[in-house]
Amino acid sequence: MSNAAVEERCFHCGGPLPWGARRTLKVGGVPHAVCCGGCEAAATLILSQGLGRYYEFRESPGPMAAGGTHDWTVFDREASLRRYTHERTDGEREASLQIEGLHCAACAWLIESSLRRLAGVSDIQVNPSAARAALRFDPRRVSFGAVLAAIRALGFVPLPLAFAGGATADFNAERRTALKRLAVAGFGMMQVMTYATSLYAGAMDGITPDLEQLLRFVSLIVTTPVVLYAAQPFFVGAWRSLRARTPGMDVPVALSIGGAYLWSVVATLRGSGTVYFDSAVMFTFFLLLGRYVEMSLRHRSGLQHDALARLLPESVLRLRGATTERVIADELRAGDCVRVLPGERVPADGTIASGTTEIDESLLTGESLPRPRAVGDTVLAGTLNLTGPIEVMLERVGHSSTLAAVARLLERAQGSRPRVADLADRFAVWFVSAVLLLAAVAGLYWLHVDAARAFPTVLAVLVVTCPCALSLATPAALAAATSALAREGLLVTRTRAIEHLARADCLVLDKTGTLTRGEPRLEAWTVLDPRLSAERCLAIAAALESHSGHPLARAFAHLEPAAQVSDVACVPGRGVEAMVASVRYRIGRLEYVLAACPGAPAREAASGEEERTSVVLGDPTGVLAVFHLADALRADARAALERLRSLGLVPQIASGDRAGAVAAIARALGHLPQRSDLSAADKLALVQALQAGGHRVAMVGDGVNDAPVLAAADVSVAIGSGTDLAKVSADVVLLGDGLTPLVAAVLISRRTLHIIRQNLIWAALYNGTAVPLAAGGYLEPWMAAIGMSASSLFVVLNAMRLLRGAAPRSARLEHTAPAGAHV
Amino acid sequence: MSILYLLIPLGLVLLVLALWAFFWAVREGQFDDLDTPGVQLLLDDDDAPPGDPPASDRDG
Repeated sequence: MSNAAVEERCFHCGGPLPWGARRTLKVGGVPHAVCCGGCEAAATLILSQGLGRYYEFRESPGPMAAGGTHDWTVFDREASLRRYTHERTDGEREASLQIEGLHCAACAWLIESSLRRLAGVSDIQVNPSAARAALRFDPRRVSFGAVLAAIRALGFVPLPLAFAGGATADFNAERRTALKRLAVAGFGMMQVMTYATSLYAGAMDGITPDLEQLLRFVSLIVTTPVVLYAAQPFFVGAWRSLRARTPGMDVPVALSIGGAYLWSVVATLRGSGTVYFDSAVMFTFFLLLGRYVEMSLRHRSGLQHDALARLLPESVLRLRGATTERVIADELRAGDCVRVLPGERVPADGTIASGTTEIDESLLTGESLPRPRAVGDTVLAGTLNLTGPIEVMLERVGHSSTLAAVARLLERAQGSRPRVADLADRFAVWFVSAVLLLAAVAGLYWLHVDAARAFPTVLAVLVVTCPCALSLATPAALAAATSALAREGLLVTRTRAIEHLARADCLVLDKTGTLTRGEPRLEAWTVLDPRLSAERCLAIAAALESHSGHPLARAFAHLEPAAQVSDVACVPGRGVEAMVASVRYRIGRLEYVLAACPGAPAREAASGEEERTSVVLGDPTGVLAVFHLADALRADARAALERLRSLGLVPQIASGDRAGAVAAIARALGHLPQRSDLSAADKLALVQALQAGGHRVAMVGDGVNDAPVLAAADVSVAIGSGTDLAKVSADVVLLGDGLTPLVAAVLISRRTLHIIRQNLIWAALYNGTAVPLAAGGYLEPWMAAIGMSASSLFVVLNAMRLLRGAAPRSARLEHTAPAGAHV
Repeated sequence: MSILYLLIPLGLVLLVLALWAFFWAVREGQFDDLDTPGVQLLLDDDDAPPGDPPASDRDG
């Protein structure tokens, strides 16, 4: 390098530099290295707009801005504007966007500042905690597609959200309602507690009946909105779960709040008997607080929430006679014919009219292995086309598709309840039934012994056992853990991942894109057939690889592909076959290419040294050319793996790549056990064999062919820069561009499990002592309410220790490893 | 103790006022984003030089 740019990481995305990187960027006269053209363009754009401060204040490196020649103009179509935007009275339009790669306030500031300079954008407000942006623009001065393209140019991925659509619940509206309910309950609690304290004090030291009655009436006035407005979700939830015949935690909650309130109202109006307004209000407040924490968590993880909505492609290639046209999914009608390329999702239910492929239906059917599909077979909306391009005759679009039906079912089943609560609820069903039974028995018993004590006893049983410790024990810890993990750069999409990650003892890593940067570059090529020029070989290779979702295919993305490609078929982990100018070519692994040319001359002898990854191009006459690809090792891979090994996770490499290339990586990482030449099915078998041997397997991968393996492993981790499919099938997504956060993830999840155990033991002890006391009539409802609150508080505070996170922070590795060991 | 007959209703009025103020703040979006405004202060600096125009060069 001729200048002094000796940084080890990309200035923009923080990723390690590819070998021999020559791209530099001068900032204030100081050269900085960048890893790729995308990052260079994004950084240049940011600096030229005077927004360089972004680099000082951001909390994590930016998303890698590489690649992507997405056609944003499809969003300028009338139907797109109608779907994603909303026209205001002044002619401007509003839209709501989800933004991928947005992790901190500095990112939000960057997008806002940059976009506001775009003529025609009247306002944009970016909310980093929800990864959403609210956009207002003038369609006469700037097109919607241009605004989206401008966001993409900064390195972020904008996803327009259907306007006022049912699937994209408005986070802000939900949050605002929750805050209002919380405020009503909180303010109410403060007031009612003072009245209650006065009443208790009065009961002991004497109080005039007038004043007592006044305090009771005021309590009634304050409690009424708390019960009718703030506690509404519990009543709705209880009613819903009763109708579904699966009594959840909401049932005893609703019973005790409603019961305490009604009893107290009657007592107040009659002017005799005890009032329990304080219990009802305090109870409501603490429960709402728990729900609020869970809701914030759900919003932050965004990914899971929108997964269903995002299963449909934004734009589709529609075939009209001989012409194709890119349209948005909304414009499709039954009877349309669309082309679905490998790696794309099927936009609607239909029948394959041409082409054969494999379809991943795991999201709809739970079947983790891809299904072969040919002409005449049915494909379902939202499933992913893996291997070959297909043309689909659409039958059921939009709301009549199977996906829409599943989404509706899911919505109905989940209601407004957060996902985390589901975990506790399975257990809750029998617990609740037992509590209700116990309360009824205690009530009946006291009716016979001392009728006046019957109601307070029942109430005490209901209040004292209620959700507090038991139902909060797990969710509170999981919520705190998820936040702690997000801080370390990991998005948890399924909370079960935390438990499995803590217990994992086997770590299976894919090589390409996981241990390495996954940005293979074409290093050298050898043309073996004298009839062909190197340019022609590269063009054919580029044409074939443009149909592949495999990471290695990206090495060919910058080349001009040959024309006249037809009849494309992809075999995952093996290669691509297609007709180019009426010759059948294959590109991919040597065996795959040779299989198409039995008895061909042994030109393949020269197919490259063992240590480099090679891709072979062939036709029926034999091997035509060998392309040598190189991929740099992630800078932090070795240090991270060593830490993981010291934590008891035995790492091993399972790669579809050839032995030599895998061995080189394994050596660079300190002689890891490695398996090479694995197909997706082999990897699956490997993981299942490990599981059969009693191991708990954590799988890290990123590619299309990792998806079934990710789904099969006990816990799966996808690299954020990987394919969408891998991200959807993974339990945890690594947001950054390195493996280091995994170390913290294991530490945090182990502490989480520890804390959950403590919480459950506490809850069991508490309930074990409190319930018999309450049923025996030894507890007044106010004591029960205080006990319940203290217990909840204990559990929540215990869980909060995860957020302090002394251990994870010390585990954070400094990026001192040598950059990009080249292989 | 008769002062309580005035103070308790007064407390109620204050309660309603506090709730009204909170609802207003929620409606105005004050609680929608609790992260950005804190950093915005540091980032928005009109006096800042608009950054040196970056020169991009490749020598490979």
